[in-house]
Amino acid sequence: MNKTMMKLVVGTEAMFFVSLIMAFVYMAYNSGFEPYEVSKLDIKTTGIFTLFLFSSSFTFWMAEKKYKNGNIKSLKIWLVITILLGAIFLFGQGKEYIRLINENITLSGSVFGTSFYALTGFHGLHVFIGLIILSIILIMVFVGDFNNSSSNVIGTVGIYWHFVDIVWVFVFTVVYVLPYFTKI
Amino acid sequence: MQTQHLYFLKTYYLQSITNPASFQAEKINNLFYTFNIAAAAMLLLVIFLVIYISIKYREKKDDTGEPKQMHGNKKIEALMIGVPMLLLAYFFYETIHVEKQIAPPVNTSQQPDVIITGHQWWWEVEYPGSGVITANEVHLPVGKHLLMEMRSADVIHDWWVPELGNKMDLIPNVNNYLWLDIKKPGSYIGACSEFCGAEHAWMRINVVAQTQNDFESWLAANASNAMLPQDTITMAGARLFQEKTCSNCHRIQGTAASAMIGPDLTHIGSRKEILTGLMKNNEDNLYKWINHPQEIKPGAHMPDFILDKDSVQAIAYYLNSLK
Amino acid sequence: MKELVEISEPKSPFPGVGVSTDQGLLQWISSVDHKMIGIMYLTVSLFFFIIGGIEALLMRTQLAWPMLHFLGPETYNQFFTMHGTTMIFLVAMPAIFGFSVYFVPLMIGANEMAFPRMNNFSLWITFFGGLLLYFSFLAGGAPDAGWFNYAPLNEKNYSSSPGIDYYAMGLLLAGIGSVTTSINIVVTVLHMRIKGMKLNKLPLFVWMVLVNSFLLIAAFPALNAALAMVLLDRQFHAHFFNTANGGSALLWQHLFWIFGHPEVYIVILPPFGILSEVFQVFSRKPIFGYSFVAASSVAIALLAFGVWVHHMFATGLGITVDSFFAASSMLIGIPTGVKIFNWLATMYGGKIKFTVSMMFAVAFLVEFTIGGLSGIAFSIVPIDWQLTDTYYVVAHLHYVFIGGTVFGLFAGLFYWFPKMSGKMLDEKLGKWFFWLFVIGFNTTFLVQHVLGMIGMPRRVFTYPDLPWYGVLNFISTSGAFLMGASSLVLVYLIYKSIKSGKTAGDDPWDAYTLEWATSSPPELKNFDELPVVHGRRPLYDWKHPGSEDE
Ligand code: HEA
Ligand code: HEA
Ligand code: HEC
Ligand code: CUA
Ligand SMILES: [Cu+2]
Repeated sequence: MNKTMMKLVVGTEAMFFVSLIMAFVYMAYNSGFEPYEVSKLDIKTTGIFTLFLFSSSFTFWMAEKKYKNGNIKSLKIWLVITILLGAIFLFGQGKEYIRLINENITLSGSVFGTSFYALTGFHGLHVFIGLIILSIILIMVFVGDFNNSSSNVIGTVGIYWHFVDIVWVFVFTVVYVLPYFTKI
Repeated sequence: MQTQHLYFLKTYYLQSITNPASFQAEKINNLFYTFNIAAAAMLLLVIFLVIYISIKYREKKDDTGEPKQMHGNKKIEALMIGVPMLLLAYFFYETIHVEKQIAPPVNTSQQPDVIITGHQWWWEVEYPGSGVITANEVHLPVGKHLLMEMRSADVIHDWWVPELGNKMDLIPNVNNYLWLDIKKPGSYIGACSEFCGAEHAWMRINVVAQTQNDFESWLAANASNAMLPQDTITMAGARLFQEKTCSNCHRIQGTAASAMIGPDLTHIGSRKEILTGLMKNNEDNLYKWINHPQEIKPGAHMPDFILDKDSVQAIAYYLNSLK
Repeated sequence: MKELVEISEPKSPFPGVGVSTDQGLLQWISSVDHKMIGIMYLTVSLFFFIIGGIEALLMRTQLAWPMLHFLGPETYNQFFTMHGTTMIFLVAMPAIFGFSVYFVPLMIGANEMAFPRMNNFSLWITFFGGLLLYFSFLAGGAPDAGWFNYAPLNEKNYSSSPGIDYYAMGLLLAGIGSVTTSINIVVTVLHMRIKGMKLNKLPLFVWMVLVNSFLLIAAFPALNAALAMVLLDRQFHAHFFNTANGGSALLWQHLFWIFGHPEVYIVILPPFGILSEVFQVFSRKPIFGYSFVAASSVAIALLAFGVWVHHMFATGLGITVDSFFAASSMLIGIPTGVKIFNWLATMYGGKIKFTVSMMFAVAFLVEFTIGGLSGIAFSIVPIDWQLTDTYYVVAHLHYVFIGGTVFGLFAGLFYWFPKMSGKMLDEKLGKWFFWLFVIGFNTTFLVQHVLGMIGMPRRVFTYPDLPWYGVLNFISTSGAFLMGASSLVLVYLIYKSIKSGKTAGDDPWDAYTLEWATSSPPELKNFDELPVVHGRRPLYDWKHPGSEDE
C-alpha cells in the first residue's frame, strides 16, 4: 500500500513538473529570453554536478539491494554515499545560483531569471526534501529500526528519490541542453 | 446616490444576439437558431422520457414483488452513442464553416481600419492614417469590410457588441484582430465582457455606425484641432485645464495637453455620453464628474482634486464647448 | 452455503485514545475514523454552503434592479470571487469527499481507509485552507479577481490588497488536502476490497470516485504550479504574469484551465456515482449497461484534459486551435449522454419509488441536460464568441453545478442520511424542500440565459436600465431568495430529523450495496464478517440467493 501511495504521490508531482516545464518553454517562445542571459548558463560544470545526482540513484539502488539481503552495514554505507552525492548536487546548484546572481541574473530581473529560478528551484527543493527523508532513514537505520528486512519503507522512499533524478533529466535537457545546442 | 443621472433611454430597442446587424452576427445567429432547434429536440426527448417513465413505471399500491431485472442491451447503447454522434458531427462541420467565414486569417501587414486599445475602464480609438484619436464613442462606416486591431494598455478586456457579432479579447502584449461588416447604420451598445477590475461594469461600448459619407465627414471634423476658447469663461477653463494637472493625463489636440493616460478630450463636447455610458454628456454631469470623480465612478483612475466650484464650472464649460 | 470472510480490525481512532470512551469534541477533532471524518467533511461543506449562499443573496440583492447602490464595486467583486471559490472548493469538494470517505470503505467491505491518519490530516488542512481564504476579509480585503483569477489582474499592481495572496495560499492548502484524500481513496479501493469484489464488480459510486481520484491527482498540480507562480510574482517580484515586464497573460489561462476544466468534472463524477446507486435502488432494478456507465466515466476523465481551450475561444488563438478544442468538447457530450440515457433505461420497466432522494435524481436528469446542452452551445465556437463571459455562462455553470452536482449531493444526502445518523430524514418536509428548491433554482437561473443573449456581461456590479434588464434580474433575485428559504427548510429538516426522526433500521430502502449490511449508524468496526462477493449488487445477492448478476 505504501508503494502504491508513493507512486501516486510521484504521479501528481510529475504533473507539477510538467506544468512548470511547460511554463518554461512557453515563456521561452512567447516572451522570449535574452540570449545573452541564456549564454551565461554553465552547462559543463552543471553537467558534472548532474552526474553526481545520477550516481546517487545508483547508490540508492545498491542500498536497497543490500537491505533486501539483510546487509545492514552496507546499507548504512550506501545510504551515506547517496546523501553525500545529493548534497554535492545541491552545493553545485547553489554555486551556479551565486555565479548567476553575480552576473545580475535574478528572479525579479528578467523573464529568463524568473523561469530559470522557479523551475530549477522547485527541483532543488525536492532534492532537499529527499535529503531530509534520507537522513531520517539513516538515523532510523542507525537506531536499529530496520534490522529485520521486511519493511517496505526504503523501497517507498526509493521511488521518490529515483523520481527526483528523472525529473532532473528533463529539467536539465530543457534548461541547459536544448538552448546550448539551438542557441536560442 | 442622486448624482448619477440615469441616461440610458428606453428608446433603445432590445439589443440581442438574435437581432443581428452585421454579416458576422447574422452567421452566428443562423447557427444559433439551428442549434437551438436541435437542442430543444434533445431536451424535449429527455423530458418526455422522464415523464413517460415516471408515470408508467411508478410503484403501484397493491403490486409487490420485484420488477424484471434487466442488465442492458447493446443495440440500445449503440443508438445512445450513434445519434448524438451524428448530430455533433453536423455541428462540428458548421462550426468550422462559420468560423472560416467570419474570422478568416489576417495578413498582419495590412493596415487596420481602426485600432481599439482597452484601458481600465475606457476605450481608446485610433483611426490609422487619418490622425484621429478619440475615446469611448466608436464611429464606424457601414458596408465596409473592416479590420479592427485590438490591444490592451493594462489588463485583459473584451470587445463585445451583441448586434455586431463576435467578441474579441484585448490582451496586453498581444495584437488581436477582428473582422466586421456592419449592415445597417445605427447606434449599437455593448460592453467590456472580460472582468477587468473595479469598474468593469462601467466599461461599456457605444458604436455609431454611419454611412460611408457621414463617416468621412465625421472623420474630417475630428481630425481638426480642438476649438479655440471664445469667451472669458472658456479661456479660464482652458487655462485651468493646463494648470490643474488635467493635462498630465489627457490630450486635447492643438493645445499643450498631449498625455494619453486618460481619454482624449479634443472633441469631447460632441460625444453623447461620458464615462462609457454612465452619464449623459452635458455641462452638469461634467461638473459632477470633475468635482468628485471617485464618487461618480469609484475606483476610476482619475483622482479627486481640490478645486473650487468656479474652477470646476469653468473647466466643465470649456470641455463642453469642445464640439 | 454462504462463504463468509472476516474483515480486519481498524487501528484505534487515535493513538492513546480509547475506541469507546466518549471524549466529546476532542474525539471528533482527533478521530481517524473514516465515518467521523466523513461527517465532518459534510458539516464543513454545509457551513460554507450557508456562507457562500449568503454571499450570493447579497449579490443578487445588489443586482435586483438597475443602478442600485447596495454594494459598491469593490465589495461586489470580492463577493462574487469568494462565492465562486467557496462553492467549488469549500462546498462541492468537501461534500464529495465527505460521502467518499464515509461510504467507499463501507461499500467495498473494509473497516477503514488505507491511511486513517492521512485522512484526518486532509480534512483539517482543507478546512484551514478555507479559513485562511476567509481570513483575507479581516486582513485587508478578500480576493477580487474572480474564481479563475486571471492574469495580469492578479498581479500586485492591479490588485494591491493581500486578498490574492490568501487566495493562492488557501487554495494550495485545500489542494494538498484534496490530493492526499484522493491518493488515500485510490489506495483504499485498490488494496482493501472484500474478497470477490473485482474492479468490474465495484459499485458504481466507488467506481466513479476511483476514476475521479485519478483525475484529481492529475489535475491539481497544474493549479498548484500556477498558484506558486503567482505567489512568486506577488511576493518576490518574479515576472511570470507581469505583462509590463515581458510576462504572459495567457500562460495563466492555460495553466488554470488545464486544471479548471478537469475540476468541473471532478465535482460532477462522484454525484454521477451517487445517482447511479439511487436510480438502481429506487427503480428496483440493476443499472442498465453497467460497463457503458463505468467506461463513459473513464472517457469523460480522459477527454477532460483535452478541452481546456474552450474557456479561451475569445482570446484569439486562431481557428485551427479553436476547432480542435471544439471537437473534443463536443465529444464529451457523448459519454455524458450515454449516462443520462442509461439512467433513463434503468428506470424503464422498474417500480419507481418517489422518495425525496429519487425526486432529486429524476429532476437532475432534466436540469443537468439543460446545463449540458448550453455547454454544447459554447463548444460551437462562433456561438461561444457571442455568449462567452455573459450571463449565459452563469446560467450554464449553475445548471451543471446545482442541477448536476448539488442535486446529486442532495439525492445522496436523503439516501444515506439514515445510514449516517440512524434516523430517517422527514420525507414530507423533504418534499417541501424539494419543490421550493427546484422552483427557486429554475426561477433564478432560467432567465439568465436570456440576459446573456440580450447583452448582459457577467461580473458586473450593476447595469444600465436597458429593456428587460430590470424585470429579468428581479425575477432572478426573487428565485434566489426562494432558494434561500428552501435552504432554511433544509437546515431545519436536518436538525429536526436528528433530534426526533423516525428510527431508520439497518436497511430502510431494501438496498443493494454493502453499506446497508451493517448497523445504522455503523459501529466503529464496520463489519465483523461479510459474504464473499460474486455480483455487482452484493447485498441483493445475499437477500436473493441464487440470483447473482453477471
Ligand atoms: C459540473 C460542472 C460542469 C459540467 C458537467 C460542464 C459540462 C460541460 N461544459 Fe461547462 N462549465 C462549467 C462547469 C461544467 N460544465 C463552469 C463552472 C464553467 C464556467 C467557468 C467560468 O468561466 O467561470 C463552464 C464553462 C464552459 C465553457 C466555456 C464558456 C465560456 O466561458 O465561454 C464551455 C465551452 O465549451 C463549456 C462546455 C461544456 C460542455 C461541452 C460540457 C459537457 O460535458 C456537457 C455534456 C452534457 C450534455 C450534452 C447533456 C446530456 C446529453 C444528452 C442528453 C445527449 C444528447 C446531447 C447531444 C447530442 C448534444 N463549459
Ligand atoms: C457549486 C457551485 C455553486 C452554487 C451552489 C451556487 C449557488 C448560487 N449562485 Fe453562484 N456561482 C458559482 C458557483 C455556484 N453558485 C461560480 C463558480 C460562479 C462564478 C464566480 C466568478 O465569476 O468568479 C458563480 C457566480 C454567480 C453569479 C454571477 C456573479 C457575477 O457574474 O457577477 C450569481 C448571480 O446571480 C450567482 C448566484 C447564485 C445563487 C443565487 C445561488 C444559490 O443557489 C444559493 C442558494 C443558497 C443559499 C441562499 C444559502 C442560504 C442559506 C441560508 C439562508 C441559511 C440561513 C442561515 C442560517 C441557517 C444560520 N452565482
Ligand atoms: C491621473 C490621471 C488623470 C488626471 C490627472 C485627470 N484625469 Fe480625467 N480621466 C482620467 C481617466 C483614467 C479617465 C477615464 C475614467 C473612466 O472612464 O474610467 C478620465 C476621464 C475624464 C473625463 C471623461 C471622458 C469620457 O469621455 O468619458 C473627463 C471629462 C475628464 N477626465 C476630465 C478631466 C479634468 C477636467 C481633469 C483635471 C481637473 C482631469 N480629467 C484630470 C485620468 C485623469
Ligand atoms: Cu474592461 Cu471589463
Ligand atoms: Cu470547461
